[in-house]
Amino acid sequence: MFQTRGLPIAAYLGMLVALALAAAFIAVIAIVIFLPPRPPDVMRADTVAEHFEDGYEHMIAEGRPLNETGMVWTVRDGQPDGDDSPYMRIAQHRLADALELEKDQVVMYAAHVERSVGFVFRVQSGDLAEIARQAERAQRDAEREAARAQHEAERLAAYAERLNEDAERQAERAEAAAERQAEAHSAAAQELARRMEEQARIAEEVAREHVLEAEERTREAEERAREAEEHMREAEERVEEVLRRVEEQSGDFDIDVDGDVQVEVDAADIGRHIEMHAPPAVPAAPAPPTPDAPVAVAPTAPVAPTPPTPRSWPTPRNIPEPPDPPDPPDTPAPMFAPAPAGVVLVKGFEVGAQLPDGRWLVMSQGRNWAEIGWMFRSALIIAGALAALTILAVLFARRLARPIRNFSDAVQAVGVDPQSAPVREEGPQELRGAARAVNTMQARLRSLIADRTKTLAAVAHDMRTPLMRLRLAAENAPVEQRDRMAKEIGEVEALVASFIAFARDDPAEEARVRLDLSALLQSIADDHAAHNRNVTFEGGERVIVTGQSLGLKRLFSNLVENGLKYGGAARISLERGESAVIVDIGDDGPGIPADRREAVFEPFVRLQEETRGAGLGLAAARSIARAHGGDIAILDADKGALLRVTLPA
Amino acid sequence: MFAMTEPAQPPRVLIVDDDADIREGLVEVFQRAGFAASSAADVAAMERSLAQKGADLIVLDLMMPGEDGLSACKRLSGKGRPPIIMLSALGDDADRIVGLEIGADDYLPKPCNPRELVARARAVLRRGRDADITAAEAVRFAGFRLDIARRELHDPDSVVIPLSAGEFRLLRAFVERPQRVLSREQLLDYAFDNDADVFDRAVDVQVSRLRRKLERPGGAEIIRTVRGEGYLFAVKPTA
Repeated sequence: MFQTRGLPIAAYLGMLVALALAAAFIAVIAIVIFLPPRPPDVMRADTVAEHFEDGYEHMIAEGRPLNETGMVWTVRDGQPDGDDSPYMRIAQHRLADALELEKDQVVMYAAHVERSVGFVFRVQSGDLAEIARQAERAQRDAEREAARAQHEAERLAAYAERLNEDAERQAERAEAAAERQAEAHSAAAQELARRMEEQARIAEEVAREHVLEAEERTREAEERAREAEEHMREAEERVEEVLRRVEEQSGDFDIDVDGDVQVEVDAADIGRHIEMHAPPAVPAAPAPPTPDAPVAVAPTAPVAPTPPTPRSWPTPRNIPEPPDPPDPPDTPAPMFAPAPAGVVLVKGFEVGAQLPDGRWLVMSQGRNWAEIGWMFRSALIIAGALAALTILAVLFARRLARPIRNFSDAVQAVGVDPQSAPVREEGPQELRGAARAVNTMQARLRSLIADRTKTLAAVAHDMRTPLMRLRLAAENAPVEQRDRMAKEIGEVEALVASFIAFARDDPAEEARVRLDLSALLQSIADDHAAHNRNVTFEGGERVIVTGQSLGLKRLFSNLVENGLKYGGAARISLERGESAVIVDIGDDGPGIPADRREAVFEPFVRLQEETRGAGLGLAAARSIARAHGGDIAILDADKGALLRVTLPA
Repeated sequence: MFAMTEPAQPPRVLIVDDDADIREGLVEVFQRAGFAASSAADVAAMERSLAQKGADLIVLDLMMPGEDGLSACKRLSGKGRPPIIMLSALGDDADRIVGLEIGADDYLPKPCNPRELVARARAVLRRGRDADITAAEAVRFAGFRLDIARRELHDPDSVVIPLSAGEFRLLRAFVERPQRVLSREQLLDYAFDNDADVFDRAVDVQVSRLRRKLERPGGAEIIRTVRGEGYLFAVKPTA
């Protein structure tokens, strides 16, 4: 898509930043998805208390403290120290109740206590409604119970009255019978009267007894009523208190989860209380009076007093068991659970309770391994994301850097050899632009070189064709003239050749090969020697260098020809130095003055004006030597000039 | 010196040059040397002439208006064409190599000595007649490679062993006639075609130098001396 235009570097950098952000995002997502919620190192006070309860029971049962991760259980002689926190008192008291210990036998301290203001993960309003409902129920029950007690008392009172009436009636009837009998039977009347008196006494006694009993019953009923009243008041008070607490708690959102349980317990208590004080199911009936009067003698047998109706106590209604306290959420509350707002949270706590033997069992919060594990795992995920990001960034950077490196290599290649392949247009936009510019430059360079080559060829042709004509013309001349002409033509030709060679000189064009330098120098010497020129070569071992075969040949040929021209001879010697190969070329000429030694390397500079030549030989030679990483220097010599060529070994 | 024994059929040489003076001069020189010389002013004329009467040798100028010598030489290269001596105003080593690599049998810079040109022409004709291997760009033998165009010898380790002109001609004479005893006179004839005074002893000197350059530890003797007769190139070169 970007093959033709490429992206600006800024876009690549932007992509890199986006990549980094994406990696961070993925790491966070991975933590959220693959890790459970971070376990807090604070715990709910009630959970802690419950946990301690289990541990205490374990201690009692097994005789040794629990051994578990997360909590440290110890048995000590004294109670743990710490600052008391009012927030924890409820949990503490509840724990004491649960363990059936005195309040001061249980301590609960924490280095840090607070009420959760965190997120309400579980709806707390259900609990509130439940508390209110339970309070209402308790009130209703208490009222009902009070009403029942009242009713019972009234009934008892009525019964007592009835008994009283009974007794009076019997007494009256007995009196009437006695009078009647007395009238009828004076004789027997006495006896009868006596008997009747007896009877009356008995009846009176019974009646008194009955009255007494009735009185007692009335008192009892009264007492019962008072008691019921008291209970009712108590119940009302409780209900009021609960309602007040509910109000209070809903007011500032300060709900103690213990509250609901507390209310439950109270409601149940009320029920139990009432049941305990309810009248016995089957009350003992008072013994009926046993009249022993001779019933048969009396014309009208005195009517035996109607035995009192056996008391029929209403069977005390079975008070329904209070509903079970609302089940804690389906599964037991986990040790580490998100806390609803208002729950008491503790951290760095110590819970202690006195054991039957007087020592203290203490549970303190250990290191929270779950939390550390969680941190470790999230650190692993982050490290993974970072590593992935680093790898991606490195790949990215390489992707960005590769075209730049290629570009620099290609530009270098163009600098060395204008004929090299054009720079590939790839990578970021800016680089493509640069590559295009370089390619344009290279094309121009190439056409310039082509122009130069064409010009050189034209010059060479135009200059050499007349020379060739002269040569041919000289063939027809007398031998003496012919040789002289040939010599002149040769010199002009040499001049032309050196101009052309210098002008087209391009040391970089030729490929570099491994080359036997000693063989090269030997062949130069041999070629000159074949034409009877005084050129010698000295050099022992084979020396192999890397260089351009034609270039090096031209370099040494130039120096040798210089020596022949100025000194009439050339002595070549070759030796291998530490890090360089040294070729010395000496001649027998006048030498080169010290102040001219740099100048002779300039093009067109000649030491002797009368010498033929263009003054290009040394300049070309030095440029070739330098292109090979070497150099040419002029040394002091006893005789003639001494030029030293150094080439890297 | 030019009055050598004329062969029954004088060799036909075709001179191709755009410059009329040079053409005429060269025709004259070759005729004097006993060749049947004719001339053409450009490549088209050369082809017409070749089609009409053929030629044993072409002396071809490199730079001509119209099709130049290089492209003509490239086109002619192939089977059955006469040997070509290229004549050029571009006299550099690099130009010579290009010319030889394109298929010229020899290459002379202008201005050249006319007598040298004739001598080279004879040498080329002789080589064409005798050589087992001709017009090959490179010849291999015993691990060495002789680059004919570049006049370079590469040893088995690919190191370039520069040869002097004499050594090159001598080695070329050997590789073109391998496994034959060559007398000193023959070698002089093949390898020393310039007008310098050379003697039999010069052949021995060149051969010993060449041997030194071909010498490799453990290598077989490549140029063997045949006592009383001459030298023998003992290995079979391949193209």
